[in-house]
Amino acid sequence: MNFKNIDWLIGTFSGIIIAFTVSQTIPAHWNMFLAMAVGGGIGMVLQFILLILLAPFFGAFEVMIPVSIIAMVVGMLSGMAAGSVPGECITATGGILGLTVAILIYFSNKKLLS
Amino acid sequence: MAGHKKYDRVAKVFDCFRKGDMRRWGPAQRKLFRQMQGNVLHIGVGTGMEIINFPPGLNITGIDLSPKMLERALWRGKQYQGKIRFCLMNSESLAFPDNTFDTIVTVCVFCTVAHPVQGLKECGRVLKPGGKLLMFEHVMSKNLVYGLSLKFMSLFTGAIEGTRLDRDTVENVRKAGFRVKSEQNVYLDIVKTIEGVQ
Repeated sequence: MNFKNIDWLIGTFSGIIIAFTVSQTIPAHWNMFLAMAVGGGIGMVLQFILLILLAPFFGAFEVMIPVSIIAMVVGMLSGMAAGSVPGECITATGGILGLTVAILIYFSNKKLLS
Repeated sequence: MAGHKKYDRVAKVFDCFRKGDMRRWGPAQRKLFRQMQGNVLHIGVGTGMEIINFPPGLNITGIDLSPKMLERALWRGKQYQGKIRFCLMNSESLAFPDNTFDTIVTVCVFCTVAHPVQGLKECGRVLKPGGKLLMFEHVMSKNLVYGLSLKFMSLFTGAIEGTRLDRDTVENVRKAGFRVKSEQNVYLDIVKTIEGVQ
């Protein structure tokens, strides 16, 4: 099984899911700081759901570490952007950020294993 | 036996949740377990998922404090090509005489043992002089970002099933009187193989 591709897909998928959910949940008129905090909170809740769904197939730590970072970063940024940026852009950015985190962790892991 | 109820509760779903870990960690475990020899004590055998990675022909004693977990380990034990027996026992008070085992193996156990240094001291007591302690454990990361993530998740895993993700198990091995002969990363600096000698 090619875990590198799977990990990158999990990162992208998690980023998309979290960004989409936050962008659809937070009302546009909210204060940016409140939206950021609530976005981070939604990200954390989704982190647990993703962990329960994905860890049995792909490994607990290998899912938990990237998804927890993605949940915090993407959740907060998506919350901040929810009032001023179209939902599709937030979702796409979430996917790119998720993939970026997964790639950074891949190289960090390579370095620590060498 | 005190403390076994939470493990009894998760026994039914334990294999399902560990399947992904076994897929990832199988090669690293087999490499570590190649060093097993003679009379072996497997602490926290659980449902016996790691037995498939053990080299054949050994004399293994597997202990766990959960009867339900051990029930599930029985069929895996029957498939092992060597001697294997299971005992209901707490790792903090081992019912074996001093200097009994040539090798002690643990897999993701010292994150859940209530008093890890005490448990490791017990390992030292039952291990023969020159014997090996082979550990496959997850530990606290030295990286700030990964460490924060582990600290946060530890609040939940600690409350739900008593698993701490923020333990410095390598240091605990030293505190218990072992010399750490090797320490190798398996995933980031979180999942590690640790080899201790007395």
